[in-house]
Amino acid sequence: MQRRRTVAFLAGAGALAVLSLALPPLFGQPRPNGAPQFAAGYRAPRIADGHPDLNGIWQAMVTANWDLQDHEAKAGPHNELVGAYGAQPAGQGIVEGGEIPYKPDALAKKNTRFENRLKVDVSSDKTWHDLGDPEMKCYMPGVPRATYMPFPFQIVQGTSPYILMAYEFTSATRIIRMDWKQQAPTDSWMGWSRGRWDGDTLVVDVTGQREETWFDRAGDYHSDALHVVERYTPVSPYHMVYEATIEDPNVFTRPWKISFPLYRRMEKNVQLLEFKCVPFTEELLFGKFIKQAAR
Amino acid sequence: MRTFRSLVAALSFLIVATPALPHHAFNAEFDANKPVKFKGVVTKMLWVNPHAWIYVDVKKPDGTVEEWMIETGTPNTLLRRGLTKESLPKGTEIVVDGYQSKDGSHRANGRDLTLPNGQTVFLGSSGTGAPYEKK
Amino acid sequence: MRNRIFALIAALVVVVGVGLVVPAAGQAPKTYNPPKTPWGDPDLQGVWNDATSTPLQRPGNVGVGVLNDEEAEEFQKSLAHDLTRDRRDGGNAADVNRAYNEHWMDARRLKITADKRTSLIVDPPDGRIPPLVQASPERQKVQAARAAGAARFAAGLPDHYTDMSWPVRCVVRTDVPPYLPTIYNNDFQIFQSPGYVTIAPEMIHSARIIPVDGRPHLNKGLKQWLGDTRGHWEGSTLVVETTNFRADEGVLFQGANPATFTITERFTRVAPDAINYEFTVADPSTWTKPWTALIPWNKVDPAEQMFEYACHEDNFDIVHFLTGARLREKNGETVGQQRPARAGEER
Repeated sequence: MQRRRTVAFLAGAGALAVLSLALPPLFGQPRPNGAPQFAAGYRAPRIADGHPDLNGIWQAMVTANWDLQDHEAKAGPHNELVGAYGAQPAGQGIVEGGEIPYKPDALAKKNTRFENRLKVDVSSDKTWHDLGDPEMKCYMPGVPRATYMPFPFQIVQGTSPYILMAYEFTSATRIIRMDWKQQAPTDSWMGWSRGRWDGDTLVVDVTGQREETWFDRAGDYHSDALHVVERYTPVSPYHMVYEATIEDPNVFTRPWKISFPLYRRMEKNVQLLEFKCVPFTEELLFGKFIKQAAR
Repeated sequence: MRTFRSLVAALSFLIVATPALPHHAFNAEFDANKPVKFKGVVTKMLWVNPHAWIYVDVKKPDGTVEEWMIETGTPNTLLRRGLTKESLPKGTEIVVDGYQSKDGSHRANGRDLTLPNGQTVFLGSSGTGAPYEKK
Repeated sequence: MRNRIFALIAALVVVVGVGLVVPAAGQAPKTYNPPKTPWGDPDLQGVWNDATSTPLQRPGNVGVGVLNDEEAEEFQKSLAHDLTRDRRDGGNAADVNRAYNEHWMDARRLKITADKRTSLIVDPPDGRIPPLVQASPERQKVQAARAAGAARFAAGLPDHYTDMSWPVRCVVRTDVPPYLPTIYNNDFQIFQSPGYVTIAPEMIHSARIIPVDGRPHLNKGLKQWLGDTRGHWEGSTLVVETTNFRADEGVLFQGANPATFTITERFTRVAPDAINYEFTVADPSTWTKPWTALIPWNKVDPAEQMFEYACHEDNFDIVHFLTGARLREKNGETVGQQRPARAGEER
């Protein structure tokens, strides 16, 4: 019985091997948490200067904003009040290779952030940023988190040396300066972005990010030495592949990479709307300082 | 011939270029009756909006050190003039001339910030305060 | 309208800008034909600055709309004198409002417009905002509540974060149309792409992505802080219409009523380094007539750039205002009766 199963298995494997040699490389070598695979050979329409036209409204479908790594569904904050609202969905991670390579001490700091993700204390300027997920406080999310927030963003690309990316979440924006030499003059929440073309891929080098941003709600974090290199590659009229290499020697043992598809929003007359969330956070942040009689 | 000297009085309440200013009333936060002027050593500067903050250690006569937080304007103006985070290094001695916070904390608005030699901090050597200075 | 920053300041004139180019915007254009983008739209791209000392409204006893050279020089000097932060006269009460000194400000706000007008308003011809309409009882109530909050805030005794204005709360700032010059960060960057013109004011980091392809506005029920904007070209002029403002009070200029406020803006490139920005606003609940202003936008030096203006992220002052108010209330201060701290007071 055992032998027959083994033979059947070997025959099947052999057939598969033969087939995969015969077929064009449509699906590549499957590997856990690898880059999205698309048919090769798509050529995006051009904008007037000959570069691929990336204009449009785009959105990620992955649940990486909850957790970059594999995650199961979980009850959300205060489920005793809101049930399934705000619960965490399950998601397959977008980190290539599966795990974020934290340095041993750094992993403990991620866990501390996660434990404190719902806490805030802005009573002192000096510890203002110490607690709480910055997303919850409606702070600009930085790069790459802005790309996989569950909100659309718009690429505004002309033929000038500037590409604008506008994010619906808190109306955040960043300017990508093409072929730019100047370094970040100071740190900023959305970073200092310098772009160039690599064939049909827009490559964006991002430095100068505020250390207070997180990668996700799971507490994944970085220091002010963060260096992100993004790649936006059109692979169909409706998809781009987004890849980002993340490097931070203070926190990780080596650079690591995330990747996922971006989908073009196709609704007729679709436009970016506003998600100006600052007023949603004021009671949380400042409520304890108001005059008690004013409640 | 018309002259405009007579306008000065009229101008003082009509100068408004924009009434919807995103600026808080300084005299709501800082006390005109509590001017401060002291020398201190910069420990750090936060190049943030809406206000940059300079942390200054002030040595008191009795030897103790008080930390003051000096509120300043938007750093974007300075960045456009070519200044950077390195422009006010830690350890720089500065003279702060301003008004203390009404709540009595060690906070002041940085009305004037100078180096001990009298040179205005952030003004740079050319000193014109031009919107942007070529290097 | 309260305006502590501009009122009462006087000091040495810092006459800046020896090297500044006097911009050409605002003058009657000799039909300048702007270059076009590759897809045929007039090119407005670049980084532009709208700072000026020319007041929105013509000063009371000035009967003329445009000055001659000598008068213009006087006018500019007087304005610069009033506006500069480096003055030390007027006593402490005036001085405390002059923080921070001049180099934190946009130096271009000490220059009048190149066309030597005495007001940014061009219509009505007297250069002044038209008389206000008597507000309805409902609006009066709303306005009174806002005014009470503003008074508490101005006294340094806000009860609640809602006593502070939307700009102080970092919700919106320069980016609510119409665009008006302010003390700093007067830069705008214009981006163009096929079917869109995008205007990014520096404060607060938002972008107004304006379709110019003729698509309709959002449905009436979908409202936004910055409204919903559509543009179309009339010759070389970008004509911009914005509707769908949210009902929140205190967002629009002079407390105009979002339900009845309308605005049309026009952007015309009148020279390689100048755009004329003209807006007409109307609100039958607020002003007896529509009014129009023309503000020149000047192209900045190529090395000058926009920088990120995050606001809410490091807005420590909200806490300072509130905790300071609680402490001073404990010490017996009220809005009507403020007093300086006494020796030995809790710190």
